[in-house]
Amino acid sequence: MKLIAVLAALALVVAAPAAASEQRPTQGELEAMLVCPTCHVPLDESNSPVAQQMKAYIAKRISQGATRSQIVNELVAQLGPGVLGVPRTHGFDLIAWVLPFAGIALGAVAIGAGAWYWSRRRPETAGNSLPLDEATERRIDEELARFDG
Amino acid sequence: MRALRAAAAVAVVALLALLVWDVAHSSGGKVAREVDKGEMVPAPAFRLPRVAGGGHISLASLRGKVVVLNFWASDCIPCKQEQGELNKAAAKWASRGVVFLGIDEVELRSFAQRYLQHYGVKYQSVADGDGAIAGKFGVTGTPETFFIDRKGRVVPPHVVGSTAASQNSGSLDDGIKRALSA
Repeated sequence: MKLIAVLAALALVVAAPAAASEQRPTQGELEAMLVCPTCHVPLDESNSPVAQQMKAYIAKRISQGATRSQIVNELVAQLGPGVLGVPRTHGFDLIAWVLPFAGIALGAVAIGAGAWYWSRRRPETAGNSLPLDEATERRIDEELARFDG
Repeated sequence: MRALRAAAAVAVVALLALLVWDVAHSSGGKVAREVDKGEMVPAPAFRLPRVAGGGHISLASLRGKVVVLNFWASDCIPCKQEQGELNKAAAKWASRGVVFLGIDEVELRSFAQRYLQHYGVKYQSVADGDGAIAGKFGVTGTPETFFIDRKGRVVPPHVVGSTAASQNSGSLDDGIKRALSA
């Protein structure tokens, strides 16, 4: 019971700022999360005409009490998903979506193949070890005999 | 190891092929380029929201009319300079079945609406919010004006810059006449 209460309190601590940010977004956080659609840099680093329009629009909507999702959705509706800084899902930009997963898959395959290769190779390496010369072999036998005795 | 190298080579070739395919299939600049060579090309289709008044306008719905397509933005100074001439020409040619359509480039609706109101623009404008249609036409800046004939073909000339500028003097009427006679 105590554990549940602790977990609930922890969830509240984590969720509260997120909820507050959703309900009362700040100009700074929205400018940092959005992108200028013409120059493709974060809004807070851009001074292009459309970036200035977006900043003015965000300020106005915040003063009107709009939530973060409302403001973002309104900007996306008017200027397209490019304001989210997300690559297109077609053409060459599709690579940006596919490549990370392909990389992970390739990495997994490479690790698996490597592990399989080395696990197969070890016994062979042992079998292929160079034969000892006669003197060394004799000395080892003597040492072992002394050890056993 | 050899298999890994082969896989890497295949991946690089595939990426290059995708890049080539993407470049080959993007119509960026194609319309403007072809028209500037003196050729007639089919106008890329579009359906965009009106800047003011709600609803959408599609280019297909204007088939059978000559369309003067003017790409503009409210922060563009040459656009403001040519606006008076565009307004007059739109009124002058309306009786001949010529429709003017503004395409507002990458900006928020409220700013565009304020511009239309301020400059007394009577003809319709649509919003190209992400600039995709400008990309299809090969627009490199605002203002740019295209002339589309009754069959939906873009006819030369294509006006880059303000139609009120001295170097473009008479280009609006010339373009409309060419589109009417095409």
